[in-house]
Amino acid sequence: MSNVKRKSGEKISSDLSKMATLAKAFTAASDWPDKDEFLDVIYWFRQIIGLVIGIAWGIVPIKGLLGIVLFFAVNMAVIYVYFSIFQKVDEEDYGGISEILKEGLMTSFATFLVAWIIVYSALYAD
Amino acid sequence: MIADTLLILFISIVTALLGEGLTWILVYRMEKYKKLKSEVEKQSKKLEKQKEAIGTEASERSLKKKLERQEEKLKTNNRDLSMVKMKSMFAIGFAFTALLSMFNSIFDGRVVARLPFVPISWLQSISHRNLLGEDYTDCSFIFLYILCTMSIRQNIQKILGFAPSRAANKQGSGFFSTPTPVGK
Repeated sequence: MSNVKRKSGEKISSDLSKMATLAKAFTAASDWPDKDEFLDVIYWFRQIIGLVIGIAWGIVPIKGLLGIVLFFAVNMAVIYVYFSIFQKVDEEDYGGISEILKEGLMTSFATFLVAWIIVYSALYAD
Repeated sequence: MIADTLLILFISIVTALLGEGLTWILVYRMEKYKKLKSEVEKQSKKLEKQKEAIGTEASERSLKKKLERQEEKLKTNNRDLSMVKMKSMFAIGFAFTALLSMFNSIFDGRVVARLPFVPISWLQSISHRNLLGEDYTDCSFIFLYILCTMSIRQNIQKILGFAPSRAANKQGSGFFSTPTPVGK
């Protein structure tokens, strides 16, 4: 019984911690004492950007190398604006700008390709 | 065609969940694995902090020697961690290769999606695998499945908390890593 209570207590505190992280992510110039927490926010933000861009490129449609180049450009630009202007984070705390810019990039690219292919196929394939 | 596309996405999600589920049963829930993983993460973080410190202070031979010893210890723990995972991962890998072969034969010769780009030449052998014709925007099962898995598996691991920490990744993990140089 105490085990069940302990586990449900842990779950509640984990949920509260996630909500606190989410609130900080949407608040300008938040304080990020845990570097991994901020990088997790960047990671998930990137996945959402990849999904949104993939869906958008599939609907328009944007095709070819242009689509891929634009994905990287938009993705990097949005993340850069988010961490340097909105959150005002010092990239040196994270080992340089490249560490933040590459966080979750390849997985986001895979997510983008999947979304792009599926939406494009659904709308424009024979 | 879209039905095939969505089916492959669904298969990818199910196999990723199944893979992580099996790995949890055979590997992640083992006390030895949990202990080793926690040791590796603690040591990695400690080593990272100490490497940063050695870059800003005057280098001392004894401090560097201490770091080298800690790196060796971390390398040993990483190796032990890999050994714990290896047998189970082989079994899971074997099972999933069989599963993949089955799906491959089901979707053999079928165009499952239309690519909005023409893949580069060396990727065409995967994206246009066993498909008729010269239209390289035709997508085969294996290409779409690989892309779905790359996206979905990584995200599922992160959601479930099975992904290794960044500090552990930086210090290298597994058999084939070389230790990062001490000092800058």
